[in-house]
Amino acid sequence: MATLSTDVLVIGGGATGAGVAWDAALRGYDVVLADRFDLAEGTSGRFHGLLHSGGRYAVKDPHAAEECIHENRILRNIAADCIEDIGGFFVTTPFDDPEYADKFMAGCRATGVDCEEIDPAQALREEPRLNPGISRVFRVPDGNIDVWKTVWAMARGAQERGARILPYHAVVAIHREGDVVTGARLRGHATGEELDVEARVTVNASGAWAGQVAEMAGIEGVRVLPGRGIMIAMNHRLVNTCINRCQMPTDGDIIVPMRTVCIIGTTDEHTEDPDDHHVPLAEVDQMLDDGEKLVPGFREARALRVWTGVRPLFEDAKASDTQTRDVTRAHAMLDHAERDGVTGFVTITGGKLTTFRLMAEDTMTAVSRHLGDERPCLTKTEPLPGSEDGATYTLGERLQRKEKNLVDEQIICECELVPRWKLEQAIQRRATTNLDDIRRLLRLAMGPCQGGFCIYRAAGILHGLDGLSAEQADDSLLDFLKERWKGTWPILYGDQLRQARLDDWIFQGVLDVEHLPANQPEAVAT
Amino acid sequence: MSTGAGTTPIDDLLRGSIDHCVKCTICESQCPVSNVTPLFPGPKYAGPQAERYRVADEPSVEWSVDYCSGCGICSQSCPQGVKIAEVNAQARNKLKKQKGYPLRDRIITRPTWLGRAGGGPMAPLANLTIDFKPFRIIGEKLLKVHRDAPAPEFARHRFSSWFKKHPSPPTGKKIVYFHNCGTEYYEPWEGQKVVQILEHNGFEVVVPKQDCCGLPLQSSGLFDDARKVVLKLARALVPYVRDDPDTLIVGNATSCTLMLKREAREILSLEHDPDLKLVSERTYDLCELLLELHDRGELKTDFQPVNEHIFYHAPCQQQGHFIGKPALDLFALIPGLEVTEGNARCCGIAGTYGLKVEKYDIAQKVGADLFGQIRGSGAAEVACDSETCRWQITHATGHKSVHPIDYLHRAYGL
Amino acid sequence: MRSELHYDAVVIGAGTAGLVAGARLAEGGARVCVLAKGIGSTHLAPATIDVLGYAPDRVVSPSGVLPEFIAAHPGHPYAALGVDAIAEAARWLQSRVESGPLAGYRYLGDLDRNYLLPTAVGALRPSAIVPETMAAGDSADLERACVVGTRMLRDFHPALCASNLSRLGVPARSVEADIELERADQNALGLARHFDDPGWRAAFAGRLALKLQADERVGLPAVLGVRDPHGAWSDLEHRLGRQVFEIPTLPPSVPGMRLYEILRAALRAAGGRLVLGAEVISSERDGSRLSSVATHSAGHETRYAAPWFVLASGGFNSGAIELDSHWVTHERVLGLSLRGLPAEGEPRFLGDYLAEQPMSQVGVAVDGELRAEGAENVLVAGAALPGAVPWREGCGEGIALASGSHAAQLVLARSGAPAGAAA
Repeated sequence: MATLSTDVLVIGGGATGAGVAWDAALRGYDVVLADRFDLAEGTSGRFHGLLHSGGRYAVKDPHAAEECIHENRILRNIAADCIEDIGGFFVTTPFDDPEYADKFMAGCRATGVDCEEIDPAQALREEPRLNPGISRVFRVPDGNIDVWKTVWAMARGAQERGARILPYHAVVAIHREGDVVTGARLRGHATGEELDVEARVTVNASGAWAGQVAEMAGIEGVRVLPGRGIMIAMNHRLVNTCINRCQMPTDGDIIVPMRTVCIIGTTDEHTEDPDDHHVPLAEVDQMLDDGEKLVPGFREARALRVWTGVRPLFEDAKASDTQTRDVTRAHAMLDHAERDGVTGFVTITGGKLTTFRLMAEDTMTAVSRHLGDERPCLTKTEPLPGSEDGATYTLGERLQRKEKNLVDEQIICECELVPRWKLEQAIQRRATTNLDDIRRLLRLAMGPCQGGFCIYRAAGILHGLDGLSAEQADDSLLDFLKERWKGTWPILYGDQLRQARLDDWIFQGVLDVEHLPANQPEAVAT
Repeated sequence: MSTGAGTTPIDDLLRGSIDHCVKCTICESQCPVSNVTPLFPGPKYAGPQAERYRVADEPSVEWSVDYCSGCGICSQSCPQGVKIAEVNAQARNKLKKQKGYPLRDRIITRPTWLGRAGGGPMAPLANLTIDFKPFRIIGEKLLKVHRDAPAPEFARHRFSSWFKKHPSPPTGKKIVYFHNCGTEYYEPWEGQKVVQILEHNGFEVVVPKQDCCGLPLQSSGLFDDARKVVLKLARALVPYVRDDPDTLIVGNATSCTLMLKREAREILSLEHDPDLKLVSERTYDLCELLLELHDRGELKTDFQPVNEHIFYHAPCQQQGHFIGKPALDLFALIPGLEVTEGNARCCGIAGTYGLKVEKYDIAQKVGADLFGQIRGSGAAEVACDSETCRWQITHATGHKSVHPIDYLHRAYGL
Repeated sequence: MRSELHYDAVVIGAGTAGLVAGARLAEGGARVCVLAKGIGSTHLAPATIDVLGYAPDRVVSPSGVLPEFIAAHPGHPYAALGVDAIAEAARWLQSRVESGPLAGYRYLGDLDRNYLLPTAVGALRPSAIVPETMAAGDSADLERACVVGTRMLRDFHPALCASNLSRLGVPARSVEADIELERADQNALGLARHFDDPGWRAAFAGRLALKLQADERVGLPAVLGVRDPHGAWSDLEHRLGRQVFEIPTLPPSVPGMRLYEILRAALRAAGGRLVLGAEVISSERDGSRLSSVATHSAGHETRYAAPWFVLASGGFNSGAIELDSHWVTHERVLGLSLRGLPAEGEPRFLGDYLAEQPMSQVGVAVDGELRAEGAENVLVAGAALPGAVPWREGCGEGIALASGSHAAQLVLARSGAPAGAAA
C-alpha cells in the first residue's frame, strides 16, 4: 500500500478545508487535502451563494456580524473573480415587524456593517419585481460568491505550491498511537485502493461530519447538529440584488442572484444524519410562498432545481433538538490537545461560508503552533489564482467571451455557455468520468434545459477522450440523469415540467437510453 | 444592482416569457438570417439564452444581436410563447444606445423626412440620385447604404393631397385610413385603390393628418425617438375612434399596422398608454377586414374575372399579425385568378435592414429561396402586402409586385 | 367589432395529430382552419412512425401484439381506435409522403414488423414505418456499420454510437468525416442544407469513400437533405457504392421538418388554412357544445366559430396541460376535464428516474369515440389524450396519426360533408 508523508493532512474539501490547505501551502507547509467525494460536494456546494455583509446577524449575533463584514472586505480583495458585487437590500415587507428596521440600522452601526437607508421608490426602480408594499429599505454590501470557483482556485493555488489534492478519497481510519494522531488511511473511490497518509497534524475540516470523523480518532463529544435546509434555484434573475427580509432571521427570507439564476432559501430542520438530503414537499411550498412575499408573481416564475444543504451547527451548550437555527453560527476551532489530551488533531466546524478564510486562519494558527514554528498567515492579502487583477466577476463575462469567438468556438452547454475546449480541458485535468463533477466545475447542465441537450454531447465528448469505454460513458450519462432527477421532481411544475417532458422525449424517445446495453432487457415480445 | 430608466412591468412580460423556453431549437430552425450567415447565432441564443446574462444597468457585451433582422418569425413559430424577437429588439436598443447611432440610422429611419425632402416637385431630381450609380456609390461611402439596395422612386404627388381633392361621399359608416409613409410618398396609387375599394363597400373614408408609425426607428434601436413618433401617431388617430365603438382604423401596410397593433406596445414598453391601447384594438389590416366582412356577408362580391397567374408572398410581418393569410381567401373569390402560394419565410429586406451595407448580402441570401420560388412559378406578377418587400422582390427578380388588393380593385372594375 | 370567422371545423394544434386531422378534414371537403400557437412536435421527434415499440418488452410485430396490448390497456387511445384504424392512417400518410413536395421520398414498412434502428447514442429503437433514408440501419440485416460524424456537429457522436451498437451485437466502427462548416455551433439543419447541394455531396462522398472499408453500410446523422432527401440519399448510396442510412439525433429534427412540410402541403393542397402564432386563449359554449374559440391575434382577439373542433394541442410538453405551483392540473386551452391524475395524497412523481411516473398518463378525459367529456363536438387527438406513455411505449406517431384521422372521419361523417377521398 502506498504511503504519503506530509505536514498537514486536511480531511474535508469544502471551503474551510480548501481554505486550510491554501493557508498552509502559503505558509510553506506540505499539505494533503482529502474529501470523500468531489471538493465542495458537501455543505459548501449546497448553500445559496451569499457573501454576507453581516446585516443578517446585526441584531441577533453581533459578533458574527462583525466577522462577516470584516471577511467580506477581505474576500473581495483576494477572491475578486469569485465574487459578484451585486449589493443587498434589507426590505421591510408588509409581513415584517416594522420596528425591527430601526433595530437593524442600530445593529449595523454598532457592528460596522455599512448600511444606508434608501427610499423604497428608489429600490423599486432598481428592482421592479420587488413587492411594491415594502415600507423601508436598507442598502448593504452583500455579494455573491461562487463557491466551486473559490474552492478550486484555492486547491489549484495549493497544488501549485506542492500540495496534493485528493477528491474521492474517503477516510476509513484515523491512525492514533496512544494520545497522538499520526495520520489516516484513505480509500480511493474509483479503484478501492487504499493509501496511508502520515501527517504531523491532521485537521478535521469535515463540517457537518466532524463528529463522525472525530469519533474515528476516538474523540467523543464533538457534537455537531446537522441543520438541513432547502434552496430552490429559479430559472432567471428575478432580481439582480440580494434581497433580505428585514426581520429576525427566519425561513425563506432571502433571494440571492447567483450567476444566471436566483436562489431562494432556506429552511432549518434538525436531522440526525448529515447525509440526509431529502426534500420535504411542504418546505417547497413554503419557499414558494415566501418567494411571493418578496417578489409577487414568484409562483408564476420557473423553478429549475431544488436541493438541500446541511449546516454544521456546533453545540457547546444545550440546544433544542428541533430548531437548530438558534445554536450559534460562530465557528468552533477545537484543539484536541487542550480539550481532550490528544495531540496532532484539530477540528474546525460550525461557522458560515463567508468566514471560511478566518476559520482556516484560526485553524492554521493552532496547527502552526503544533508544528513548532509559527509562520505568519498570508491569506488576507494573497490573491487566489484567477483573482490577481482584483476585478470582480460580472454576469456578462461568458456571453462576452462567446461574442468574441462567435464563429469559431463550439459551445456544448448552451444555457451556461460552456465551450467545448473548456469541457475537454476539465475532463482531462480532473481525470473524472463523473459528469456531476464537471457540472460543479463548469456549470454544465445547470441552465433551463438541465442537460436536456448538453449531456448527450458531453457524454460523447467524454467517450471520445482517451481511455473511456462506451460502458463508462453510458454509466456517466445515466448516472447524471438519475442524479439530476432528484433535484427536479420535487419542483416539477409549470415550465420546468414542460422541459422535463421534452427531455424525456429526447432521452427516452429519440436516444432510447433505457435500452442501452447495460439496461437492455432480455425478453422480447413477438 | 440593477436597472434604471425604461424598466416597466412590460419588460418583465418579455423577460418573464423567457421562462417558457425549453431550448427546443424550433426558432433556430425557422430563423431566415441565422440559416444563411454565422454572424447571427440565432434567435434562441440572442433571445431567451443571452437574456439570462443581461443585467439592466450593466453595459451590453454583445454585438451579434444587431444582425437580428426583427422579422419576428421566431416568435411566431415558438410553441411555448417566448417573445424572442421582442427580447432581441430590446437588447439591440441597449447595444445601439451604448455604441452610438451612425448617421445612416438617423436618416433612413425617418421616411417622413425623406419623403418630404425627395417627394413632390423635387421627385424627378431625387429619383435621379437614386438611380444614378455614381451617386449611389458616394451614398454608400458616406451613409453606408448599399449601392444596390432597392430604393423606390419618390412620387410627384402625395397621397394625402389626392385625398383632399377626392373626399369620400358621406355614408355614415366611417372608417379611418392609416395610409403609412410608403403609400404617402412612394405609392399614392395604392392609397387611391384602398379608398376606392372601401367606398365601393359603403365606407366613408376619413384620412386624419398623420405621420410615421416609428417602426424603422424601432428596428434600428432608436427607441426614444420611436416612442415619440408612434405616440404622436396614436394621438392623431385616437380622436376618430374614441367616441364610436364601431369605427375602425384600417391600413394596407402590414408592417406598420403590426407596429400599431402590438409591436410598439410590446417592444417600446408602451403597454399603459391608453391612446395607443385603444388604437391597437381598433387597427385592422385591410385584407383582414375585408375577409371578416365577407364572413358576415357584408363584402361586395361583384368581381369580374381576372385571368392572371400570380405569386403570393406573405411578408413575415404580415404573419406576425397571427391571422394567417387572408389575402389568399380573398383571391379565391376572384374568378380566373390562379395563385401560387409561396412557401418562403422572408424576402430579406426586413424594412431597412437589407439597405445597410453590412447587411445587404445577408438580406439577398435570405431572400434567395423566395426569389427562386418566384422565378420557378411561372407567375407574371407577385402579390405582397408590404411595400418594402415588394421593392425587394422587384429588385431581385424583375417581376412587378403589387399589393393583394390591386387584384380586388381590378376585379371590381374600379 | 367582433372579429369572427366561420369554418366547418377548427383544429387546435399543428403537430402531427393536428396537421393530419386538418389535412384529412380538408380532403373530405370540409372548410377547415388549423390554429397553432407555434410549430409542434414534428420538429423535435425522429419522424419515424412508431406504432408500438415496448409493451413493456420490445415488440417485434405491432400487429401481432396490439390485440393483446389493447385488451390489457383499455384506457389507451388504441383501445378506442382499433388496429385497423392505425393501419389505415399509416397507409394514408405513406401515400401523402409519396405524392408530396419531396420528390421520390417514401416511408417504408407496415404494422407487421418493427424495424430496429440505431439511435444517436447507439441503442436500438423499434419503429414500424420509417423514412427510406433510415431503413438500411435495421439491425435485422445490418452486418457491419461505419458510423460517420464530424466534430463540427456537436449533436452527434459517432464513436459512442458505434461502440454501443457493437455491444448490442451490431459490429460497428466510427469515422470522422472532414467537413468545413460556416460556424462551430452548427446544428443538423445547417449540415442538411449542404446535403441538398449535389456539388457539395459529390465532394463529401469523394473524401469519405477513401476511408470506408468493404461490406460496411454507412450511418450518418439525420442530415440527408431538407428539400431533396431522396435525391441526397440515393446520390450518396450511388457514389459510395453501398447502402446508407441516417440516424435521428437531437433537435432540430430534419426528418421531422420534412414530415411537417409534407403534412402542411397536404393541408394546403386540399384548401385548409393554417394560422401560426394563434394561441387559443378563450372559448365560448352553447350548452354542451363549443361554439367558438378566440385567439390571441395582434391588437384584438380573433374568434373562430365552427360546429366541430379537434383539440390536438399536446400534453404537458406544450403547456396545453399544465401542473401549476399549487399542484393543480389544468387543461388550459378549453378548460376540459382531465383523466389519469394521481389521487389526492398520492405522489405525483417518483424518485426513480426511469420508473413510469404517476403523472405520465394524464390527458383530456374522453368518451369511447375520443370526444371530450362535457364538450360533445370536440374531438381530442395526439398527445392530449390520456392513457399512454408514448415516449416509453414507442407509440407517439401511431396515436397522432390514428387519432387525427379518426377525428377527421368522425367529423366528416357527422356533419354531412361530402365523403372524404380514399386513403
